[in-house]
Amino acid sequence: MTNRDTRIGSAIAAATCSLLGATIPSRTSAEEAGRWDIETALLYYAEGDDRVQDASAVIAAKRDFEDERYLDLGLTVDTLTGASPSGAIASGVAQTFTSPSGNAVYTTPAGEIPLDDTFLDTRVALNVGWTQPLARLYTITAGVDFSTEYDYTHAGVNVGITRDFNLRNTTLSAAVAYSQDDIDPVGGAPIGLAPMLDVGDSSNKRGKDSKDVLDLLVGIVQVIDRSTLLRVNYSYSDSSGYLTDPYKILSVVDPVTGDTVARMPAPGADGPTGLYRYESRPDSRRKQSLFAEMRRDFSGSVLGLSYRFATDDWSIDSHTLEARLRWPLGEWSYIEPHVRYYTQSAAEFYRHSLVDGEPLPEFASADARLADLEGVTVGLKYGQTTASGNAWSARVELYQQSGSVPGGQIIGNQTGRELFPDLDAVIVQVSYRFGL
Amino acid sequence: MRMPLLILLSVTALTGCSSLGVQPWEREVLARDDMQFDGAAVEAALDDHIYFSKEASSGGRGFGGGGCGCN
Amino acid sequence: MKTPAGALVLLWLSGWGLPLQADVVPAPDLDLAQYRGHVVVVDFWASWCTPCRRSIPWLNRMHAKYRDDGLVIIGVNVDRSRQDAERFLRELPIEFRIVYDSDGELATQYRVEGMPSSYVFDRNGELAARHLGFQNAKRSEYEALFESLLK
Repeated sequence: MTNRDTRIGSAIAAATCSLLGATIPSRTSAEEAGRWDIETALLYYAEGDDRVQDASAVIAAKRDFEDERYLDLGLTVDTLTGASPSGAIASGVAQTFTSPSGNAVYTTPAGEIPLDDTFLDTRVALNVGWTQPLARLYTITAGVDFSTEYDYTHAGVNVGITRDFNLRNTTLSAAVAYSQDDIDPVGGAPIGLAPMLDVGDSSNKRGKDSKDVLDLLVGIVQVIDRSTLLRVNYSYSDSSGYLTDPYKILSVVDPVTGDTVARMPAPGADGPTGLYRYESRPDSRRKQSLFAEMRRDFSGSVLGLSYRFATDDWSIDSHTLEARLRWPLGEWSYIEPHVRYYTQSAAEFYRHSLVDGEPLPEFASADARLADLEGVTVGLKYGQTTASGNAWSARVELYQQSGSVPGGQIIGNQTGRELFPDLDAVIVQVSYRFGL
Repeated sequence: MRMPLLILLSVTALTGCSSLGVQPWEREVLARDDMQFDGAAVEAALDDHIYFSKEASSGGRGFGGGGCGCN
Repeated sequence: MKTPAGALVLLWLSGWGLPLQADVVPAPDLDLAQYRGHVVVVDFWASWCTPCRRSIPWLNRMHAKYRDDGLVIIGVNVDRSRQDAERFLRELPIEFRIVYDSDGELATQYRVEGMPSSYVFDRNGELAARHLGFQNAKRSEYEALFESLLK
């Protein structure tokens, strides 16, 4: 019925978080009860320097059951390969590490930021949602989502309600999502801040763990004028349980030189050639965010601008600014340039390295994703609609991320080395939408 | 401290809202696919997944509203 | 609908039937006086309104079935651009009378509160019902109203 999407659905590609509000919107053209509206997409993501590569395939289907009742189904499969920074720092000598499984070692040349390249992972995610009116001005939605990969499973439920006011110029919505994730890391979850040991020694590891997440969202959409829409959302998220990354480590360094403390594996054994400790994060995280977006039509072109401010009790603050301009080319196609700017401040327990001899902090992580960083994305999309109402599009985006380490955390010889694993990635996606 | 202040500002800005809006028959632009907030939901979900794995903040976008306002 | 409270509860629950307004004044542009003696349905529709698309085949059927009994259907198009309405009509022709109201004057006069909206007048020209929105599930109810007014 309406072209607005009043459904909450966890995002099709959500694996470890339940995202509220992403399913196919209704179409203006040729919508009849009993038809399936299907969107398929293929995405390729690749970082430079042999780092992470990801290929994803998505199918999202929506069926209209008459009088504003909808069923949403989504399936996503992605395959991740490549290497990712482990959190250890570069050193003047080659470094050897025990792999996450505890059965092998890998080596990083001198001067390079260590990357853990033992990743090959396929994830499958499924989501189902149902939307229907409750009374003339009310809509309710409910859904479940599930995903699995070799070391992780996720299951979540969500419900939401919207209510229109002012001749449907104002819409208020509220949603709740709850999920439970089980983590079974390769080799077992490390004991927080335990040292990395030789191959075959798993005394620093324990078994599986889990976490649960509660998300709340309240939002308002307001029609400003004939060509302008505004929405504002507030969301609150409470995660508790195992929030640590079981594969990330920190280097333990000499307090004067800043070099990684050397270590000898046991005679006849393979193991780390330096002192490294597994990271440890708090078992609770509360986040809040405020998001505002405006969409305005300029005689056929549409400009979208959005801003999100997020903050949490790990002291991470972030700002995200995004702009998109859909520019029609004739009646049936368009181009859409896109820019995104992101900046975040580091988690309070982020450490570039641990200092040998100093008491261990309660929590520490050298994961670059928790550091002070900035990301810029620039992209362009091209799309076409066919006369029968089917549509295809292709987009290419470039994402660059750079970060920094607080001056006070840089010690001795670290100054001359690459401190933050800057990221350069390309994103390519093609999509096709059709009716059945 | 910043969050409550931002929320207060947003609410204040939107409380003049009952005077904003259009008549039910004036929604031809708002009904268009390219004016829907979730018009590219699959793409938005894929992007969210990428940024979730590379950055520390995620989500917040949500759902509901705008459109043709029908029924 | 035996008590006022019951009526209000029913109206809130159903949501789609609204209290009658005695002061709805049909516009001079749309002179319904010529249809005195007929049952008149004034239906506001637009090309961009999906439930309107669903209601039109049904309205076409009602028009075919009851016109000889005295049912008159008038579709008031509120598209701002005539081209949009014409493109719609090429895909989905309307068999009853169409009036164009691109500046919304008629919609304003009828105090349209949502799309689609239809106003049903009895043979004496009195407003008998006002429907906000179109539900497939209510088609037989809508048709029963026509039959009772046409008797």
